[in-house]
Amino acid sequence: MKAVLKMASSNGFENHHGCPSNLRSELDKDLFAVGSSADKEAFKRIYLEMGPKLKAYLVKTGQSQSEADEILQETLIKVWRKASLFNPAKSSANTWIYSVAKNARIDRIRKETRPKPDPEDPSFVPDPPETGEDSVNRIQDERLIRAAMQVLSSDQAQIIKMSFFEDKSHAEISAELDLPLGTVKSRIRLAFGKIRNEVEKLS
Amino acid sequence: MTIRHHLSDDTLLAYANGTLASTLSVVAATHLAICPKCRNQLEFIFAAGAAELEVLEPDFGSGLDLSIIDEITQLPQEASSIKPENLTLQTTDEKQVPKPLRNILPCELDDIPWKRLVPGISHYPLKGFANPDGKGALRLLKISPGMVMVEHSHSGQELTLILRGSYIDEVGRFAQGDLADLDDNLHHQPVADTDQDCICLIATDSPLKFKGFFSRLLQPLIGI
Ligand SMILES: [Zn+2]
Repeated sequence: MKAVLKMASSNGFENHHGCPSNLRSELDKDLFAVGSSADKEAFKRIYLEMGPKLKAYLVKTGQSQSEADEILQETLIKVWRKASLFNPAKSSANTWIYSVAKNARIDRIRKETRPKPDPEDPSFVPDPPETGEDSVNRIQDERLIRAAMQVLSSDQAQIIKMSFFEDKSHAEISAELDLPLGTVKSRIRLAFGKIRNEVEKLS
Repeated sequence: MTIRHHLSDDTLLAYANGTLASTLSVVAATHLAICPKCRNQLEFIFAAGAAELEVLEPDFGSGLDLSIIDEITQLPQEASSIKPENLTLQTTDEKQVPKPLRNILPCELDDIPWKRLVPGISHYPLKGFANPDGKGALRLLKISPGMVMVEHSHSGQELTLILRGSYIDEVGRFAQGDLADLDDNLHHQPVADTDQDCICLIATDSPLKFKGFFSRLLQPLIGI
């Protein structure tokens, strides 16, 4: 048994009626408003902003127009229903919504629910309390990550793009590029190591 | 519990993309439940994917349908399970195994009907968890103190999560919560190194290769 003093919110906001300081973009504010006060106008703005991007992503990863529309609709329903679980101290709204869409797509393709950790599970180990310097709690800044990704070699960038945009498995990438599987994996590890280093330099 | 060995980025990326074999995904999710560090790395990978989203040309299809907004906003919302008003003392129950594994166990870990492979080593295969290509396996393995696991290498990927006890091999010491993310062509030979049984969850995505005559005799028996 391990006792963890956990800020029950773990959301990082002191006053949940006020506006948390972690809301950095309009999208963050809108998603928070959907979760905290069922703000329909905010939800509409999210749809207008993210809908066409997610549609493009879903079509790019191989879905037909109608499949993409269905997965997009599932995603929107999940975003509306689960918005109160959005934790602005952990991720941006953009990343959170992208993860919801990605998971909806995967669950549909695999025809089974992929095992996921459940924060409600008594065995779940929650994040440690913020200490300020602890990297475990640091929010991922997409703008920094995007800037950092510019330092990747074209080989590395290609593999990362095939993974994210075509949702290819390492084995598929290995076959397509005619590279040993081990090389694909080590390029991925090198690429993320590089991105992480660069993010640290930039921040 | 201090976790020293984690999932590698390529495994996390495959998990995030849903391309990791089912057997390996169970082990990855079980480790993620107890490892804030890997959850943060996973978040980093999602953030990198979301950053890439920005460079896509938005697809407006045949125009945006605003009527679905009215429909969706009629739906009830889930209440946040998070109560921000006060601090609570949350305890983590380390006696139980995390849900992604518990969901597929027939009973508590203490009551597993172990099957003996050789003296000091027993296993319990978790059936019904075949990967789509029929290869690979998911199993629990129990190694008694001082017992040496047969030396083996992998033709594919092997993920091992330590649930109880610890072992040492060529890579290092692996204790409760640690995850060994082993790649192809690594030969290793784990030894349970305390006075406690070492219980681990092992997933593969292809058959293991055993070294040596006796282990090759053993292989059909174990079926890994
Ligand atoms: Zn970890």
